[in-house]
Amino acid sequence: MSDDNRIEGYSRALFEIARAEGTLDEVEDELFRFARSFESSDSLRTALTDEQIPAGKRQAIVEDLLGGKASSTTTQLISMVVGSGRGRDLPAIIDKLVARASSAKNLEVAEVRTAVPLSSDQQDRLTAALINATGKQVNLKVVVDPSVIGGLVATVGDTVIDGSVRTRIDQLKSRL
Amino acid sequence: MSVLGIIAGAGRVMSEEIITDSNGHVVTHSWIWPETAEIIYGSTASALVFYALYRFGWPAMKKSLDARTERIQKELDAAAADTAAAATEAAGIRQAKGDIESERARILADAKAQADSLLVDGRARLVDEVADLETRAVADIIAARGRVGDELRGEIARLSSAAVDHVVTGTLDDATQQELIENFIARVGASS
Repeated sequence: MSDDNRIEGYSRALFEIARAEGTLDEVEDELFRFARSFESSDSLRTALTDEQIPAGKRQAIVEDLLGGKASSTTTQLISMVVGSGRGRDLPAIIDKLVARASSAKNLEVAEVRTAVPLSSDQQDRLTAALINATGKQVNLKVVVDPSVIGGLVATVGDTVIDGSVRTRIDQLKSRL
Repeated sequence: MSVLGIIAGAGRVMSEEIITDSNGHVVTHSWIWPETAEIIYGSTASALVFYALYRFGWPAMKKSLDARTERIQKELDAAAADTAAAATEAAGIRQAKGDIESERARILADAKAQADSLLVDGRARLVDEVADLETRAVADIIAARGRVGDELRGEIARLSSAAVDHVVTGTLDDATQQELIENFIARVGASS
């Protein structure tokens, strides 16, 4: 089985479990945030993908990390993936799951990276703005990413709307 | 004297009577002249002797004289030849001396020409090298100036980049963050 098929299989399994549990929206959101944290944290990534660490130990790390902060379904799904040695594919599996969940609701995933958290009102207005700009119904996923420095970066499908200070600074550095 | 004369003389001699003195010694008819017979005999003997000398001695003597003359001539010829050879050799030496002088002059002229050529070439090469050095020096100066400029620009860019991060991050307070977010939402919402 190829990696793509394996990722597809895991994402479908997680999707079905979350839907069966009736917590798809919540689990999807928690998984998405965990995936972004996983990508941005070298130590977390190392701890959950190091095959020298026993699977039980890796799962214990997940449960310690998410216990009380995420739903039990989310914790168990991540623990299952990490315990099966597929921790390295966790972001791809979760992204597939999010895309599948959005597709099930006829929505397009809109990933928004921001330096500071957005209020509910801002998220609503941003969702409306993105719908207006792309002509698609979107499933907004906000990621707080300090590397953005300021402003926002919105990715809807292949469309990237970049209003971040990071990009402006990079452009300024290039000109310099 | 003819043969008849001789015979007549001999007859007269034979007919002369011998005169002796009282002691029986033969006395001549003249205190200075010999007896006629003696003259005849003597003359005849002398003639025979001269004839024999002319006939047999003269050729040998003449041959000897000729040989001597020839030897002397040869010696004269050899001396003349030696003189001519000496003159030729002297002329050769004089010519050689002249040649040496001309060779010396030619060598000196060649040396001078080579020295002049070397001097001219050396000056030309020196001028070229100086020009080349000047060109390279100018190029090096330009390159160094460009390099220093690039390094300076790079350093300014590096410092500016570091300063930009620091300054921008320091000036982004909550109000500015919110303003950036609101501006983004407004801009995205305005585009369709």
